[in-house]
Amino acid sequence: MASMMRHTEKSTWMSGYALLTPAFLVMAVMMVAPLLALLALSFWTQSGFEIDRTPTLANYWTIIEPSDEPFFWMGIPFPFKYPPPAVLMLKSIVVSLVATVLVILLAYPMAYFLAFRVKRNKTLWLVLLTIPFWTSYLLRVFSWKIVLGYNGAINSALKTLGLIDQPLEFLLYNPAAVAITLAHAWIAFTVLPIYVSLEKIDPSLLEAATDLGDTKWRRFLRVTLPLSAPGTIGAAMLVFIPTVGDYVTPMLVGGPGGTMIGNLIQELFLRQNNAPLGAAVAIIMMFIIGALVAFFFWVIGFRKLRSRVS
Amino acid sequence: MQRLKFIDRMSQGKLSRRDMLTKASAFGVGMLTLPSLPKAADVLTCLEWAGYDDPSYFKSFSDRNGTPNFSIFTGEEDALAKVLAGFSADVMHPCNYSVNRFVNAKVAAEIDVTKLSNWKDVFPALQTADGVVMDGKVVMAPTDWGNASIAYRPDLVDEDFKKNESWGIFYDDKYAGKVAMLDSELCITFGLMLDGMSYKEAAWATGDKLKAAADKWGRKCTANSRFLWTDPTEVNQALASGEIVAAYAWNDTVKNLTDQGIPVAYARPKEGFFTWYCGLTLLNSGKADKALAYDFIDAWLSPETGKTLIEGSGLGHSNTKSFELADKQAVAKMGFTDPIQHMKDGTLFIQVSDQVQTEYNKVWGDTKALMQ
Repeated sequence: MASMMRHTEKSTWMSGYALLTPAFLVMAVMMVAPLLALLALSFWTQSGFEIDRTPTLANYWTIIEPSDEPFFWMGIPFPFKYPPPAVLMLKSIVVSLVATVLVILLAYPMAYFLAFRVKRNKTLWLVLLTIPFWTSYLLRVFSWKIVLGYNGAINSALKTLGLIDQPLEFLLYNPAAVAITLAHAWIAFTVLPIYVSLEKIDPSLLEAATDLGDTKWRRFLRVTLPLSAPGTIGAAMLVFIPTVGDYVTPMLVGGPGGTMIGNLIQELFLRQNNAPLGAAVAIIMMFIIGALVAFFFWVIGFRKLRSRVS
Repeated sequence: MQRLKFIDRMSQGKLSRRDMLTKASAFGVGMLTLPSLPKAADVLTCLEWAGYDDPSYFKSFSDRNGTPNFSIFTGEEDALAKVLAGFSADVMHPCNYSVNRFVNAKVAAEIDVTKLSNWKDVFPALQTADGVVMDGKVVMAPTDWGNASIAYRPDLVDEDFKKNESWGIFYDDKYAGKVAMLDSELCITFGLMLDGMSYKEAAWATGDKLKAAADKWGRKCTANSRFLWTDPTEVNQALASGEIVAAYAWNDTVKNLTDQGIPVAYARPKEGFFTWYCGLTLLNSGKADKALAYDFIDAWLSPETGKTLIEGSGLGHSNTKSFELADKQAVAKMGFTDPIQHMKDGTLFIQVSDQVQTEYNKVWGDTKALMQ
């Protein structure tokens, strides 16, 4: 009997892996291999047109080498001899955080509405939500250029209404434009996870809260919000992690002051012809994002949160 | 049926590891031994500037061989890095001041001009010009030539500027957010020229001198630019709408906008305007048949292409016959017909050493990255 059970257990385990194999293979070929190549590249150096394959930490040292004279960016001292990676890293994190907060603020009410107010045709609502995603990302960024542009939708509307004489120039080509565009681009990815976690909430819990005298607002804060936290946090991660390294959005709507770390990496790989340094910056960026996410989970006690929900 | 059974067994976990591996390897071997489909002949790939991929520039090529593939770059250094990283292109469009980079990186191949039927009609002076010939070998078939200067809206700039046209407009706070410079290290070079340096001296500047110039001038010109342009369409639209009043531009911007009735003037800055000639270089990374590459270059050298270039973009062409074929009015409007006289009138962009170019690339990249 016992051996029988062990056997079934083992075969369940085996079939699980068998089913996962295609995904694992794709991951290994498409993700792990390029990552390893990137890692190897970061230990080499560029000399002229050639790549010197002697392993060295020189690229990493270039990024963190301290300097006696700090470089000041927005009043913040950066004590590095080569400050661009540090400065752009910080800037990218700030822009992404702003975009993430914007996304959550916009997506949460949408998901709430879908979960609690829509009774019929839920699928239709969900499909409607994905409509902007039927076009490519690039087109959506360009359309923001048209919305925010000098002769764009906002400026034309304000001019027609007689509210302004001259088009507003602060709308486009700055970090704020990047944050707005990123927020719009990622919103559908966040509505769904939040919706799912709201949907799962047992209505009897909400009823109980009301019966016990909670106002609507207190009920939301004490029951709905904590119970939907895992989905919301997951959604926030889903936006924050990929947007830090985004480069096409800042390139198109960022202007001279809106560059982010992705633009530096692209510049190092292409125009500066220094792929090894670009690889090192990319690796460090990955570690910083990883560390930030781990730190965030630790602060909010994600484990506790999850166990409480389940 | 057999297949269904296999999947059923797999999902129920009744398959042993050995079975699984046998089946997987059988599948792998099967895939490998499948006869590979005959591959279509490789299509020509051209690394090109934005806008130069217009089909009218290589019509005779397309008529014979179909449409080539294009990869668009924003500057020659981007294109070079792409080739060095393993991108296979057959032809690339460098200029007199940048072709040396491709030759030094050993990615350019010598051009056999006897294979180009239109070569005999190329301006003799261009046939032997610097950059076309390097170390006695033809490495670039010259195609187009023109200017680089400031295109501005005479109705939107001050009278002072019109009386005293200068590259200083890109560094003048009065025009902050109203100008657009090319995304190029020339931002720093022009600044050095405003400091009184000659163009040649400025182009070769290195070390502390270059760093100081980047801090003083590079940052200013970047900050004052509404955007650093990488695509002519972007700059044309911004000039047309009045979003910007002046921009670094080539002849085509002025030609396109004036053709549309938008008032645009092409400055003759007191520090000098620039001239260049560009052409096509054969790359040894190409996968397509060399004959295709020669045919593409030959199409570019044809007088018909020259006519399109002159009438459509206001740019010069390397074929002497282009000027006979083109609309007389368009030629007259362009104001130049002889490339040599034209180069003498302005300041010709020059080549610098790889070391200087690399340093310039780095300093310019850092300047852009550290903008507030």
